[in-house]
Amino acid sequence: MVNQGGGGSVAVAQIPTSFGHELRACLRCRLVKTYDQFRESGCENCPFFQMEDDHERVVDCTTPNFTGLISVMDPTRSWAARWLRIGKFAPGCYTLAVSEALNPDLQNICEEEHVPYVPPKRV
Amino acid sequence: MNICECIPHVALLRNLFEILPFFLTIFLLKLLAGLLIFMFWYLPAYTDFIDPGADIPDEDDRRLHRRPLLPREDEQEDVEEIERRIQERYARSLNVEYDEEATDVEQQALLPSVRDPKLWMVKCAIGREREVAVCLMQKCIDRGPELQIRSAVALDHLKNFIYIEADKEAHVKEAIKGMRNIFTGKIMLVPIKEMTDVLSVESKAIDISRDTWVRLKIGTYKGDLAKVVDVDNVRQRATVKVIPRIDLQALSNKLEGREVPKKKAFTPPARFMNIDEARELHIRVERRRDPATGDYFEKIEGMMFKDGFLYKNVSLKSLSTQNVQPTFDELEKFRQPGETGDGDMSSLSTLFANRKKGHFMKGDRVIVVKGDLRNLKGWVEKVEEDTVHIKPNEKGLPKTLAISDKDLCKYFEPGNHVKVVSGATEGATGMVVSVEGHVVNLVSDTTKELIRVFADNVVESSEVTSGVTKIGDYELHDLVVLDDNSFGVIIRVESEAFQVLKGVPERPDVALARLREIKYKVDKKIFAKDRYKNTLSVKDVVKILDGPCKGKQGPVEHIYKGVLFIYDRHHLEHAGFICVKSDSCMMVGGSRANGERNGNSLTSKFSHLRTPPRVPHSPMRPPRGGYGGHNNFGGRGGGRGHDALIGATVKIRLGHYKGCKGRVKDVKAIDGNLGPFAVDRSHISDNVNVTPSRETSRYGMGSETPMHPSRTPLHPYMTPMRDSGVTPYHDGMRTPMRDRAWNPYTPMSPPRDNWEDGNPGSWGTSPQYQPGSPPSRAYEAPTPGSGWTNTPSNNYNEAGTPRDSGSAYANAPSPYLPSTPGGQPPMTPSSAYLPGTPGGQPMTPGSGGLDMMSPVVGADSEGPWFLPGILVNVRRPGDDTTPGVIREVLPVDGSSKIALGSSGNGDVVTALPNEIEVVPPRKLDKIKIMGGAHRGATGKLIGIDGTDGIVKVDDTLDVKILDMVSLAKLVQA
Repeated sequence: MVNQGGGGSVAVAQIPTSFGHELRACLRCRLVKTYDQFRESGCENCPFFQMEDDHERVVDCTTPNFTGLISVMDPTRSWAARWLRIGKFAPGCYTLAVSEALNPDLQNICEEEHVPYVPPKRV
Repeated sequence: MNICECIPHVALLRNLFEILPFFLTIFLLKLLAGLLIFMFWYLPAYTDFIDPGADIPDEDDRRLHRRPLLPREDEQEDVEEIERRIQERYARSLNVEYDEEATDVEQQALLPSVRDPKLWMVKCAIGREREVAVCLMQKCIDRGPELQIRSAVALDHLKNFIYIEADKEAHVKEAIKGMRNIFTGKIMLVPIKEMTDVLSVESKAIDISRDTWVRLKIGTYKGDLAKVVDVDNVRQRATVKVIPRIDLQALSNKLEGREVPKKKAFTPPARFMNIDEARELHIRVERRRDPATGDYFEKIEGMMFKDGFLYKNVSLKSLSTQNVQPTFDELEKFRQPGETGDGDMSSLSTLFANRKKGHFMKGDRVIVVKGDLRNLKGWVEKVEEDTVHIKPNEKGLPKTLAISDKDLCKYFEPGNHVKVVSGATEGATGMVVSVEGHVVNLVSDTTKELIRVFADNVVESSEVTSGVTKIGDYELHDLVVLDDNSFGVIIRVESEAFQVLKGVPERPDVALARLREIKYKVDKKIFAKDRYKNTLSVKDVVKILDGPCKGKQGPVEHIYKGVLFIYDRHHLEHAGFICVKSDSCMMVGGSRANGERNGNSLTSKFSHLRTPPRVPHSPMRPPRGGYGGHNNFGGRGGGRGHDALIGATVKIRLGHYKGCKGRVKDVKAIDGNLGPFAVDRSHISDNVNVTPSRETSRYGMGSETPMHPSRTPLHPYMTPMRDSGVTPYHDGMRTPMRDRAWNPYTPMSPPRDNWEDGNPGSWGTSPQYQPGSPPSRAYEAPTPGSGWTNTPSNNYNEAGTPRDSGSAYANAPSPYLPSTPGGQPPMTPSSAYLPGTPGGQPMTPGSGGLDMMSPVVGADSEGPWFLPGILVNVRRPGDDTTPGVIREVLPVDGSSKIALGSSGNGDVVTALPNEIEVVPPRKLDKIKIMGGAHRGATGKLIGIDGTDGIVKVDDTLDVKILDMVSLAKLVQA
């Protein structure tokens, strides 16, 4: 079930129900949830990926390889969220960085939806 | 469910406000108001979904008014322009709200300012960092806006801490109150400058895929290089192949139910699995076919092997892909037998993937390694993103070719001087000696070692460096103790590790130790005993008596637990270090008397001579001058029929090998550092050092005279003999005939005038002293050139042996005679002789003559050089040290008659040399020179410069710089 946020009249993304290896991060918005959560509810920031409809999509759109975790309670007023460019997303748990890029097909979806996609910077 | 879908919409709209100009907001306000009404209308029905304390309308109202106020000025300037832009934007989509974020705003503009919330560092339970951050999130959702923290950060690489973003510390305290895994003790503010660092994490750049080189992070294979064979991204596992580290014996023991030691004391070395070997140990080997690939594997105890490699299924998390940088050796090992250099094209591609930006630069010489143009050489003209434009070397090709940088490799030619810019030998420079494909062999400038590196890792450079010689506190050639309490000498410093020659004397064992594996450095002064119980300390030169390095010799660099590390620069392995047990060594110049020091006065005398500090042990200061006299003693060759020089250590004085030292192997050859080579004997300088064994044998030969004290291997034994002149043989030598026989030599001596002046009474009257006296020529003739100084001493030798006296002269021209003179200053005989006849000395003219010809005088020797008239301290067991003046040095065992009292007025006692200690003179003291060319001369110490004394010699009024060790305070009787 989607948790619904009070504070800012903004929906809060699902909060991971575990902290282990099941965690995955959305390759576009870097939202962190468990695989099951993604499969059941998709990504709150990237509904156009429709992960909840296509379970294969979950694997394509998310990655278990990410570094660091940040819980953003108040994205609009958090400097950290702004710095990480997640200030416009729903409150929730995000990762600082993912190591993979979306595959070209999914990048096309982003383009069609006119949502920006910034691939991770390579070192 | 309707509302659930609505709420994200609200968020979306709110975001719109931030970018929309004011006039548009009115429309949106209406829309929002409608929404709010809608929401409130339905709220009661959904209270369980919505936080009860929410004051949504207030909050949003405030925002609506605050935000759009700011752009007002702009809008007045060019409202129409903005309108046009906005419409353009929104004509496309409503989802463009991220545009600004993604493109326009520079990261720079987002840097934290004082108005931004701050980051606070809070301690939490180790391993619970993520959990704590997620719990804080949940808590904020549950408690609503009453918790005013903005975010919580858990970093993967920072254990024990999380960061909380909030405006005030109080907010942080409030938020963490009651949290289970957070320690509320200390909350640290992160300085504003460091805030960005907290959030900067490098994303892992290289994905794990087939053929990627990786390193294992945990377990037995920790740090080992592995190659990815297969990746299962869903299960997050990979199959990698590694070189097995399996102790077959232990495995066999385990399988047969034998006792297996629990403790894993060591990691078995990596080596390819030998199935036959396993079978020999009765280990069950199954052959299985992998249904997926059709490959056959050997299965042992659940482990899969193929071609000697272990195929291991591991979690992706346990693989490290960052900075894998396989070393040359590792890749070489991985290469399958029969696989050529091209075979690891795939591994090359991984290497290339590791390339940094700016790998190729204009002017670099490159070679194409892939595609149709393979092996085409050229120069880099221009570098674009992934494309390198090269100017080909071949004719008939376009001026420049654009080639993917992945298909290019740097190219060097033998003779290029290069610098290694990455890898284990990073920083080293050297000359390319050969190129094999993408591998460059170079000879390091400093270590002269052959280094094999990838062409990719070197650049052309004229710089000459050794690379790193120090990491942390540890430097090249330090003695260190490692983790497992083993110890060794650092023989090479690599970029992140040390090569340590372990202190295992049986065989050379080199280990690679990382900085953290080193416990500490051993700096203590430790002593050890050699085979003959000589005390060895650092810098003593020793010779190895047995073991694989038998015969090598060099200074001791380190001593630890009875193990010596000897540095022999001719030893080409392990940076010249040899590890040996101390008791398989012998100190060069050390006694072989096997510790019978007390029983044998001569030995004790000897040990005394070698051990006192004034005998230089340092290899930096090899005993000055040779023991020319000794050679002459043995010089007759005994029964060996060999040249006296054989075995003597000599220094080459002239020519190509000037300055080199070596041992004479044959009259024609010397072993120097380049192997035996012939040197013109007239180019050989003084004997710098003589190995004891040689000495001994020579003395044995010289000791045909029963009375001769030269039975001891001591060179200084001459002293008593010369000074006493009381032995019958010596007396016998002092026949007029002998004097005449000697005379011829003295006139030849340049300082003859001094000598004559100094002793007008004793010598001047003899007509035979006249220079150029015919008989002298007769003796002289066979030793042309520089030989003369030695000739007398040789003659003396012979003369000392009555039986041989007849043949002494006949022997004079023996070939070895001229060999020693080089280093013997022509001054020697006379100058040494001169002071040899001071007033109070019980010396006859005859003995004076002996003195002159004494080998010691002739040689520039070191040793115990007690002379009558010098001030010494007598130290006897049980007694205090008492000063005294040597009156006479007895010939038999080198003991001296000493008149006690600092002016020599007291009782006369006899003391052994090891009970005597020379009192070092002070500035302006009258001194007597005990060693060197001026032995016996008196003078005044007019200054001291470190270990050197500046002496004004009485007779010549010359100012000489002499080793303080050879000076003794003179007490005039």
